[in-house]
Amino acid sequence: MPGIDECLLEVMRLPGARGASVVDWTSGLALGTIGDSPNGDHEATAAETAEVARMTAEQPAFARLGGEGERPAESPSTPVEDVIVTTHDGYHMLRFVETAFDSSVFLHLWLDRSAGNLALARMRLGELAERLVLA
Amino acid sequence: MSAIAADPDAPETDRLPVLSPMLQRLAAERATGALMRDRGTLYLADGQVVHAESPATPGIDVLLTTGGTLRHEGWWDAVAQAGAGHRVGRYLVDSGHVPGGALELCHLGALYDAAFFALAPTGTPARFRYGVAHWIGPVRPVPVAAVERETLRRREFLDRIWPDPACDSAPLLRTAHGTDAPVPTRQRRLLELVDGFRTASDIAQALGRSAFHILVDLRRLAAAGLVEAVRAQPLPAAETPGRITLPEVTADPDIALLRRLRDALEAL
Repeated sequence: MPGIDECLLEVMRLPGARGASVVDWTSGLALGTIGDSPNGDHEATAAETAEVARMTAEQPAFARLGGEGERPAESPSTPVEDVIVTTHDGYHMLRFVETAFDSSVFLHLWLDRSAGNLALARMRLGELAERLVLA
Repeated sequence: MSAIAADPDAPETDRLPVLSPMLQRLAAERATGALMRDRGTLYLADGQVVHAESPATPGIDVLLTTGGTLRHEGWWDAVAQAGAGHRVGRYLVDSGHVPGGALELCHLGALYDAAFFALAPTGTPARFRYGVAHWIGPVRPVPVAAVERETLRRREFLDRIWPDPACDSAPLLRTAHGTDAPVPTRQRRLLELVDGFRTASDIAQALGRSAFHILVDLRRLAAAGLVEAVRAQPLPAAETPGRITLPEVTADPDIALLRRLRDALEAL
């Protein structure tokens, strides 16, 4: 059963991984970081990506809010699984971590565009996000 | 965040304000023990923060048991088995009650959250008890500097959302305004508990959510005009005619005037 550091080490084994972090999207706190960050400051990056994650997670268009029939009161905190942003030289992947206790955590992976494999990284990040909180 | 990014370039005197000189001294001397402040306690081991608690925010036991990560029996079993040895965290993971990653995420959240409240400005002097350890035991120690930096960032973060701290501690009231935009699920659950009596801490306790997370959502709701603090009503007696209205007591009394008054009275 991995902890935060073991999880981040696993993430960094993905081809093209440049940096990764575990972030709380309500507060913008980096709970764990590894490798590089785009602006050289993991804490600032965490606060910035947290805002993107929050807006996505709470966006009515994605969160199916207002649907009278199915009120998502007891469902997981967000139906959104991940966010992928493509830049000219890299990918940023934010993967939401679903926990049994109340939390708002996501994994952020920064991937090199030429060395990285987006499909593989997306699958693997999903697995690792689950394993992080599984026994 | 920009403040943090700009910080390393700032001259020494313009550095972040010191939250607690005592805490920095304890970190420098790699102290072990409990720093008890007005609104919470920080537990140090070798100068690093290993745990924090505050009455303002739910403890890790509430956070873990509310969502069903851990049953109440599991919690009490761990406290009974490992509490005396200060290894409850380790025991929860080793016995399979809580996955290791989940415990770290939950514990770190609870630590920074309680530290935010414990390090709130106060006029009461802090006390440090050397050698005291918390029963949760080591999970993921955090440097004092990181805790201080995060606490300052959080204050600024809250003020950026809505610069009025009235909702942070007072009983809360829903306003009569309708919602123009749909309220996100988490904020809606919070809003359902706003009843004119509960405070942010009460709601955090009821939902098993971090109190800082509740403050963030409350400031957003206040900014949207959906929630307001119950203001203390002015005493109606003050308006009754015939009563002498005393001037407001100021925070800094005019010492010189008081001395002159005393001298004059003594000279009578």
